[in-house]
Amino acid sequence: MTKIVVVTSGKGGVGKTTTSASFATGLAMRGHKTCVIDFDVGLRNLDLIMGVERRVVYDLINVVNDEIKLTQALIKDKQLDKLYILAASQTRDKDALKQEGVERVLEELKAMEFDYIVCDSPAGIETGALMAMHYADEALVVTNPEVSSVRDSDRILGMLSSKTKRAIEGAEPVKEHLLITRYNPNRVEGGQMLSLDDIHEILRTPLIGVIPESESVLQASNQGTPAIHLQGTDVAEAYKDVVARFLGEDKPMRFTEAVKQSWFKRVFGGK
Amino acid sequence: MADQTRDNLGRKAASRAGTFELKSRRFSLLGLVLHSSDLAEIAADWAARAGAGGFEHEPVVIDLSAVPRAAATPATEGQAPLALDGPAPVDLRGIVELLRASQLQPVAVAGATAEELALAHELGLADAAEEPAAERAAPVPADTVREVVREVVVEKFIEKPAAPAPTMVIDKPLRSGQRVYAKGGDLVVLALVNHGAEVIADGSVHVYAPLRGKAIAGARGDTSARIYAHSLEAELVSIAGIYRTTENPLPAEVAGKPAQVLLDGEKLLMQPLSL
Repeated sequence: MTKIVVVTSGKGGVGKTTTSASFATGLAMRGHKTCVIDFDVGLRNLDLIMGVERRVVYDLINVVNDEIKLTQALIKDKQLDKLYILAASQTRDKDALKQEGVERVLEELKAMEFDYIVCDSPAGIETGALMAMHYADEALVVTNPEVSSVRDSDRILGMLSSKTKRAIEGAEPVKEHLLITRYNPNRVEGGQMLSLDDIHEILRTPLIGVIPESESVLQASNQGTPAIHLQGTDVAEAYKDVVARFLGEDKPMRFTEAVKQSWFKRVFGGK
Repeated sequence: MADQTRDNLGRKAASRAGTFELKSRRFSLLGLVLHSSDLAEIAADWAARAGAGGFEHEPVVIDLSAVPRAAATPATEGQAPLALDGPAPVDLRGIVELLRASQLQPVAVAGATAEELALAHELGLADAAEEPAAERAAPVPADTVREVVREVVVEKFIEKPAAPAPTMVIDKPLRSGQRVYAKGGDLVVLALVNHGAEVIADGSVHVYAPLRGKAIAGARGDTSARIYAHSLEAELVSIAGIYRTTENPLPAEVAGKPAQVLLDGEKLLMQPLSL
């Protein structure tokens, strides 16, 4: 049974695409046949982060408009043979996404026996975001530990429970997971960031993971490698934990406690 | 409300001899009491205070009895042309368009001048009795039909319905951008109401979780409506149109605590609840 997972947030720049790339990669690493779709039509980024931008010939809009076959647009990942990417169009806008077309693409992917379809939602609450979430079974709501991001996530959670196909048809609601990214425990202690407790108090949505703030994310994006591939980094470990928890494993939260910098490091610098 | 009454009439009529009855009926209607005859001014105020809507084609009576009639002062001989003009008429056409645009259904005018009345008839509005006349019996022949007589009684205060009003119960969190309106009754919310969400009821609003959004009780003027919250953190509370934002913070004894909000005259009282 194929599961459709939307990665969404409302606010831009919080790490949706980074999360979509790493999450989909993580599922494929665990042996699940996974497809990640970029719904950010007009501002495609996922193919860059996945390192396949030079292999994009056809995109989601071509398939939605029935111009080509789905298999022609699916890009197979070079490292993982269970991972496929469906890029967004750079030259069109979000109005080109037609609901029937999106549904047909998802049905075809289901027929191809994908285990997971990860939908990378654009920012905002307009057509693109609504299309990305409409057919979702589960949702990863990406939130940064700051007030405006939390407020926007609240709005998106409201839409997940009222505007999706499951909500409209009165089926079992979309299963919501909260993913906090760019978390910096030291800045939380300093009162510059909201703490996990603060965020939970506002949103009350089950937490699936905390991704620490890290420069390796930037480095990974620039290299065109999903952050989960960066061996030995806390970000990769944190994303692996998220995938494990998503698959039902019980993992304690990591990277949520402030690390005391030693006297030596404070004086002589270093990271 | 009116639709339902009509349905009832229809059903009753079917079970009797004739196809209909003509009866004197009393209807509770919304009254739009105007305090100005300046359409532009009214439109701006309307947009600011009622423009958000939430109406569902309720019938409304346009009450002109409180409009200041500036030119009604006795004119001297020299100002004869002015006196001929009479009081400045209210632009009923504009008012009707304004109300229709907000999903309200104007049905009648009250307190209109002869000139305004003529325009009202042209617009298909009836002439309503100016004050509720409860005792005035209006004998209407039941079996002969000459003309349709329908008495429209204007009530400025909406009476509490005798039958228990339906209570709306919400058990899912209300988040930013979501709005719930319990028409005609109370609203009970069993999950959190977050910043940017709105809970509105014609009766009282009960929130058994943190109330962080906007809470509006007595939306149709019921001054006995109250707001109850398990944790009062609302960004706005309003009862029968009297509101308070948290620009000036909530008193410490109710902020973030179980509390109720009620109306005492023109003043909102906030009281802690000991649970």
